[in-house]
Amino acid sequence: MSSSWAAEAAAVFVKDWRCELRTRHAVATLALFALTTLLVASLVLGPIGNDAEMSRRVVPVLVWLIVLFAAAAGLPRAFVHEEESRTAIALRLAARPSAVFAGKLVHIATLVAAIEAIVAPLAVALFDLRVAAAAELVAALAAGGLAIAAATTLLAAIVAQGRGASTLFAVLALPVLLPALALAVAATRVALTGVAEGNLLTLLLLYDGSVVVAGFLLFPAIWNP
Amino acid sequence: MKRLLALSLWLWMAVVIWAAFHWAPLAAGFKGESSRILFFHVPVAWVSFVAFMTAGVESVLYLAGRRDPRHDRSAAAAVELGQVFAVLATVTGAIWARIMWGSYWNWDPRQSAIVVTMLYYAAYLALRQAIADGPSRARLSAAYAVLGLVVSPFLYFVLPRLGFSLHPEPVINAAGKLEVESRMLAVLTASSLGFTVLFYWLHALRRRLGAVAARRDEGVE
Repeated sequence: MSSSWAAEAAAVFVKDWRCELRTRHAVATLALFALTTLLVASLVLGPIGNDAEMSRRVVPVLVWLIVLFAAAAGLPRAFVHEEESRTAIALRLAARPSAVFAGKLVHIATLVAAIEAIVAPLAVALFDLRVAAAAELVAALAAGGLAIAAATTLLAAIVAQGRGASTLFAVLALPVLLPALALAVAATRVALTGVAEGNLLTLLLLYDGSVVVAGFLLFPAIWNP
Repeated sequence: MKRLLALSLWLWMAVVIWAAFHWAPLAAGFKGESSRILFFHVPVAWVSFVAFMTAGVESVLYLAGRRDPRHDRSAAAAVELGQVFAVLATVTGAIWARIMWGSYWNWDPRQSAIVVTMLYYAAYLALRQAIADGPSRARLSAAYAVLGLVVSPFLYFVLPRLGFSLHPEPVINAAGKLEVESRMLAVLTASSLGFTVLFYWLHALRRRLGAVAARRDEGVE
């Protein structure tokens, strides 16, 4: 192979974003899903930021559920589309498995970050939240988003090769992501209230690291038939 | 020989059941006779752990080795049995929780952890249902099982820290101390051993059944 690993990974990443910008499939479905659910929640709950106890309990869970289900709705396509359009074979020939994983992972991570960039400011505005530690909120969103992206990349590659990919994806993803979501919800609560609850971010980053490393180890076995 | 082993396991478990109800003393701080369920609850919970670990190890062996379908069948059989034992652990735990805490279900961190574990392996079995039999299914489900091994420490050690637990300290606790009366410990150990042997016996039967089914399918093709 003449091209370097980094070049292959970058090419996969650029290709995925180019396809995305042509069809706008993920951006449209993910962003619209997130927006719709957030508006419904806001309509029902009102400006709950005025009630500190209520918003502390409800908002972090709500935000992460919206991000998770938006991800589950649009992200499996990253691999399902490759299998359906039969481009997976070409991709297998063109790049090393670990480079494919890296490229897809960064692509999905940027998509998740884009959803969060829409959901988080809107949630702050619609619920009238007061954020005690903005930097920690960004850190919690980034670390939690990476957890969702890493698990999604691996699981999407698995379900793309089975039947009923989208329903199967939700079934497989929830138990894997549950510890990460519980940590992300707690870290978001800390960022909103400013009351420390232990080293949640460290644990969340540990989860991210473990799943990314496991992803690089397992992906070649998943990807190559 | 096999019949002798089966008979001695039957005898062993019969003695364990008798000892659990008549020989072992009651634990202090437990309502009425409720501590006796411990002699069954702890071993079945332990066996479900052993079963899921067996499935994880067999999956690693499958992926790292020469992709021997025997490892795949063994992993699937271990998950199926692990689910049965996990249900038994949940039900015995819930009965005890009703007596001690007043309700069957309290979302205690340990209850949450076992529910998520059962969901995880139910997803594993759903994944196997969704893919046609063959190397593809073995490869993908093994990868999912190994991912489970990676995530499980967060489930068992991190999740419980996010909530307050009423669950008694596990027998093998963080301090490494055994705070169980010696006769209770004897029954508990004997029961755990009996259930573990029972699991490996059932597991061997399931594996043989799987091998026979595989050979039959090969013959059909």
